[in-house]
Amino acid sequence: MDFNIVECVLLAILTFFFAIDQFSLTEIVYRPIIACPIIGIILGDMETGLAVGGAYELMMVGNMPVGGAQPPNAVLGGIVAMVFAVKANMDTNAALGACMIFATFGQYVVTLTFTIMSGLMAKADKAAEEANPRGITNVLNISMLILGSLFAVIAVLAYTGGTAMADTLQNLSDNASWLMGGLSMAGLMMRFVGFGILLKIMFANDMWGYLLSGFALALVIGNIEATASATLILIAFIGIMLAVIDFKLSSMSKNAGNGGMSDGI
Amino acid sequence: MASNEFTTYKDTTPAARLDNKTLNKMVWRSCQLQAAFNYERMQSAGWLWSMLPGLQKIHTNKEDLATSMTHNMDFLNTHPFAVTFVMGMVLSMEQQKVDIQTIRSVRVSTAAPLGGIGDALFWMTLIPIIAGMTANMAIEGSLLGPILYFVIAFGCEMALRYGLMYWSYNMGTKAVTMMTAYAKEITHAASVLGVFVIGALISNMGAGAKLGVSIPNGENPIVVQDYLNKVLPCLIPLLFTLMCYVLIKKKGFTPVKLIGLFLVIGIVGAIFGIWAGSYTPLVPVPWDVVA
Repeated sequence: MDFNIVECVLLAILTFFFAIDQFSLTEIVYRPIIACPIIGIILGDMETGLAVGGAYELMMVGNMPVGGAQPPNAVLGGIVAMVFAVKANMDTNAALGACMIFATFGQYVVTLTFTIMSGLMAKADKAAEEANPRGITNVLNISMLILGSLFAVIAVLAYTGGTAMADTLQNLSDNASWLMGGLSMAGLMMRFVGFGILLKIMFANDMWGYLLSGFALALVIGNIEATASATLILIAFIGIMLAVIDFKLSSMSKNAGNGGMSDGI
Repeated sequence: MASNEFTTYKDTTPAARLDNKTLNKMVWRSCQLQAAFNYERMQSAGWLWSMLPGLQKIHTNKEDLATSMTHNMDFLNTHPFAVTFVMGMVLSMEQQKVDIQTIRSVRVSTAAPLGGIGDALFWMTLIPIIAGMTANMAIEGSLLGPILYFVIAFGCEMALRYGLMYWSYNMGTKAVTMMTAYAKEITHAASVLGVFVIGALISNMGAGAKLGVSIPNGENPIVVQDYLNKVLPCLIPLLFTLMCYVLIKKKGFTPVKLIGLFLVIGIVGAIFGIWAGSYTPLVPVPWDVVA
């Protein structure tokens, strides 16, 4: 469809920044709910940016860079989803379902960068031995430059490719509505992967009751009109109480085991 | 490695307490903890860079500064927002010119459990709650969604960085003992909160995953999902989440594999017109698809 050099350059600069932001700086701005509307402004459609960003953010719940593991990359995923949604008029969930392959690819780019950057550690060691703070600053700057540039290049490729494919995609979504419907449902279901990952990290067999009572309470609160929009805050209030009780109980039984006189130190 | 040769600093007179300006500077620098992240040493270079303003004030002797910088290049991996807790601790020990091996072991033993606690509290609990609150505003087209998201998330992040830095620096080594003594209990309590919230997210955010089969029946078509709701609302989201959990836990599925699986489930389901949505199934089926 319409390839626009200004859009392309702005997108590259923005991606450079988001790529760095996903591990340092604020670590918040790269999140889809903020990044997608900004990309939307560049592509000339902030409304779509808000819709895609909001839906992507929900999908990303649980897909966090936790414990050194890399989830499908939200920065590249967001860019591709936005190009699909704005340039090819795909509906939000379908664009998100289709962008997943690129997000997965982005995950490998990150892994690759982290491997390459191990080589910089020798440089940092040398700077440390010489008590040279500037050397450490350089190591950080070089790292950020590598990461940002790699992502910027890929963003340009995604933009060019996505725009070129836009017509084909548009035809596809007109003629094969089942494919878009399926992608849509798959995009929506991907949040269950995130929930599953969270459970794997946190769940223990004594927690079934907590899981199901959270499920039940959210259903109840969410179906009462007056409280529905505040469901998750209300859930958090109750959850904090449960956590405090759990901590009191487990530290009490621990202290009792120590003879009942421990001061916790 | 060269850093193993030294066990004590040359100048062992405790340095003066760091002023608030330097501490604040390190709080802001700590945002760059992962700027040079890599698989060999993880956050070490970013850690050292964040610590530099303090280390330079503490170690006026260049040789000691080199020693300190070298051992602060050790492998490090902790939660990026909670890192200031470890920083405050290590700074108070550096200031007291504590034995280097002690600093090293305290750093490692604090960083690791803190990583787990921070993940449980921030990524698993706070972010899902904020996302749940603001994502729908964004989807409905309100700019307030992303703005609120940023203000709350970044506000909590910085409050955490500041609070932990001053708290642990003032408490010094006492904090380590407390933290490590209760690490297991804190993590368990945070997990309880997290699991409870996930339970809520399943029904709150998963409700869109439903069947679209509607069997024509004169005036009152039989919508299968309505019957399912009488058994248990949001049954499908619950089952899919548990399926993901079991596949990850027992079969060692990676997230990528699960995403692939859902692409297949979604598209195959749509071919036969099983899932809700506004589309025409590929295979002609004797029922209608409703949203």
